[in-house]
Amino acid sequence: MKKKSFFSRFYVVLCLAFFYLPILVTMIFSFNSSKSLTRMTGVSLRWYSELINNVEVARAVYVSLSIAILATVISTVLGTITAIGLSSHRKIVKDIVLNVNNIPILNPEIVTAIGLMLLFSSAGFRKGYLTMLLAHIAFCTPYVITSVYPKVRSLDPNLANAAMDLGATPFEALTKVIVPMIKEGVFAGALLAFTMSFDDFVISYFVTGNGVKNISIVVYNMTKRINPTINALSTIVIVVIIVVLVSVNVFLPKLEKRTDHIHPRVRRGVTIFLVAALCLGLIRCGSISSQNHVLKVYNAGEYIDLSLLDKFQEEYNCTVVYETFESNEMMYTKLASGESYDVLIPSDYMIERLIKEDYLQPLDWDLIPNASGLMEEVMDKSYDPGNKYSCPYFWGSVGILYDRNIVDQADLSEGWELLKDPKYKGDLYMYDSERDSFMIALKALGYSMNTVNEDEIREAYEWLVEQRDTMDPIYAGDDIMDNMISGNKAIAVVYSGDASYTISENPDMDYFTPNQGTNIWYDAMVMTRDCSETDLAHAFINFMIDPESAIANTEEIGYTSTVKSAYDAMLDGTYAEISSYLVDDSDPRNEIFGYQDPKIKQKYAELWTKVKAQ
Amino acid sequence: MLLPLYLFTLVFVAGPLVYMLLLSFATARSGYGVEWTFTIDNYRRILEPVYLNTFAGSFRLAFTSTLLVCFLGYPFGYFMSKLSRKGKKQAMAALMLPFWVNSLIRLYGWIIILQKKGLLNHVLTSLGLTGKPLKLLYSYPAIVVGMIYVLLPFMVLSVYSSAEKMDWRLVEAARDLGAGRMRAFLTVTLPQTMPGLLSGIILTFIPSMGLFFIADILGGNKIVLVGSLIQEQMTRGSNWPFAAALAVIMMIMTTLMLKLYRRVTSGGRLEGIG
Repeated sequence: MKKKSFFSRFYVVLCLAFFYLPILVTMIFSFNSSKSLTRMTGVSLRWYSELINNVEVARAVYVSLSIAILATVISTVLGTITAIGLSSHRKIVKDIVLNVNNIPILNPEIVTAIGLMLLFSSAGFRKGYLTMLLAHIAFCTPYVITSVYPKVRSLDPNLANAAMDLGATPFEALTKVIVPMIKEGVFAGALLAFTMSFDDFVISYFVTGNGVKNISIVVYNMTKRINPTINALSTIVIVVIIVVLVSVNVFLPKLEKRTDHIHPRVRRGVTIFLVAALCLGLIRCGSISSQNHVLKVYNAGEYIDLSLLDKFQEEYNCTVVYETFESNEMMYTKLASGESYDVLIPSDYMIERLIKEDYLQPLDWDLIPNASGLMEEVMDKSYDPGNKYSCPYFWGSVGILYDRNIVDQADLSEGWELLKDPKYKGDLYMYDSERDSFMIALKALGYSMNTVNEDEIREAYEWLVEQRDTMDPIYAGDDIMDNMISGNKAIAVVYSGDASYTISENPDMDYFTPNQGTNIWYDAMVMTRDCSETDLAHAFINFMIDPESAIANTEEIGYTSTVKSAYDAMLDGTYAEISSYLVDDSDPRNEIFGYQDPKIKQKYAELWTKVKAQ
Repeated sequence: MLLPLYLFTLVFVAGPLVYMLLLSFATARSGYGVEWTFTIDNYRRILEPVYLNTFAGSFRLAFTSTLLVCFLGYPFGYFMSKLSRKGKKQAMAALMLPFWVNSLIRLYGWIIILQKKGLLNHVLTSLGLTGKPLKLLYSYPAIVVGMIYVLLPFMVLSVYSSAEKMDWRLVEAARDLGAGRMRAFLTVTLPQTMPGLLSGIILTFIPSMGLFFIADILGGNKIVLVGSLIQEQMTRGSNWPFAAALAVIMMIMTTLMLKLYRRVTSGGRLEGIG
């Protein structure tokens, strides 16, 4: 028997090691001296000090924690009462309710997320803290019901009646007789609810708005330029939880003994008061008070020097509510669902679409005096002729980032066909985006990337399938950059701005745009149709293209500036040796993405799924 | 007094589901949103080979992951139920703790371990077990590891919850009556903990088809899961009715599995969290 017990203990420890290894690794990397999450370069506390100074993270911690606590308390009460009430219903009702209840637990989160988003939009809720809280309560309640219900079912159904016959009020019967008997289930449900709420990303992302973000949303927005600040945060979370757990186990029993002397009614009163105060306090702090002008800006993740926002707020005595999106399409979905913003920073093709669908209002260029400093090369493009609606923000190309130590310089003349060169099999990243991948294939074949010709599209599809079969590429997202900085692969398709950043971190890398032509893209600031703070919006746009702000912005992000003075300053300074900073738009084979007919877009999306799904 | 509570549950829990069901029969409007004209095209489209393949691939992965999760999770839950009261508490806390670290961060931890110049390759090469670094990240096994990592706790909790309720005297009785250790396990322990095991399977199998970010981060998107497909159609493709139809199919599968479970366990409830 002894031997067996050793074996079982060993097994449990082994499994726990499996659970904790990745966490341990992230904890170690929180002390990394460089930005990389994959390569340890030295030990420092740099990320902890950055964490302390990061207001966004502090606010996110607050949102995550307060929502988790409130959602847990409310959904536990709700779920417990529902479970108790349910047990006295007829079997058919019970079955239906429990079945429906199980589905959200097992469903892909995105389904619940979109469902709730639409529900809130159609009911005209102002998205933010409250909608996020409601959504969390909604997805936590089923967990509570499922863990409480079995306990309720094992109770004698006459228990409550017996208590009431003996003179208890229904409330007393509930709190004094039933709840103590199902305590374990309630506790397990609450624990699950807290855990699910604290870790949730997908649902939170879709139901939130007005700048309210939880930790997961902040982390997700960081993935492009992920840095160990978030590891530092996780380390702190883990340490805090361990401390809490230990102290609960060690001190609570002692405390309970002491409070036994206090009259139960007093104790209950104090508890209720504390909970109510906590809830009220949390809700109060959660809603942003707006005493002055508020400008809502919606930009891609990690696409601005955040200190500029502080500067702008100070200069104009206003509040900027800043939100970020992961893709233009995600931005469109939120905008179309009725979320209101003042200034957006989407890409060219999306701007064209927004103009076509009447989401924007024209800019008043007289209010943007800094426009005179913009480069001529970025103005008057096909997506917005005459720049009636948009003010260019960053621009660049799509090209190939490669490791100079592995890739033969002579092979670069292959252009996009380099991505099919068997020499580099298994050593490349593609971008997981149908737009960019089909652009590559179409350009490699000598076609226009805006083609609607079915045969050409089919040929491009075959090119991509062949590439998949012969090259074994990775279809990655924003983690490409970190992997390239670590030198995990030799070749990657990237945007020029990401290339500049990567090269500045890892000098072994270099960038080129293939000679068959590529995509030249522009991201620009636009003002929405519902924007009410038009003066402030113009001031913001003007502020962002001010030479000084533009230099700070481009230096921080690595993307190519649209402001002449900043562009020149970078070419002489920070990005002097980095070819990707220079955008060559002279080649006639280069193109800008145009508006895609939804049918064609759907076609591309389907084919891209086919490429990936084999 | 209960009515408003029921109403909340009904609106916010069942509401999105009913909406999805309706949506799955609507027509996608070009651009954004839907037109409420009835069609079954969304379901017909699922029968196209690409999407059937996606389902098949997801099934295969779900099957592999679930099988491994069973083998790894069952003993864990079983052993856990035999621990002392304190030990149980500690094991439970240890099991839940990782969930409080952001799941994306945990997956990044796996990248650090599995990558070409990563921890595991470092250990393997320095032990002389392999000559050059193995390709671990962005492979099928990497996805499976990620799946096991995320889903194992659910299996453990399910098995634990039913093993804890077990009547150990029956095992003793079987042993007294001359059954070997193996035989006692197969004829007494296993049937008694079957509800837990089956619950664990349900809680692993369907969700594993939806965990798109694992296929993305650890698998380099080499496998398209049904979940990835729904995600893509919802956000990038903006064909909501089709996404809804896919989701409805998954809901139906879930319901069927629950029905089957109830048949097998003669009306039992899911163990553990479910």
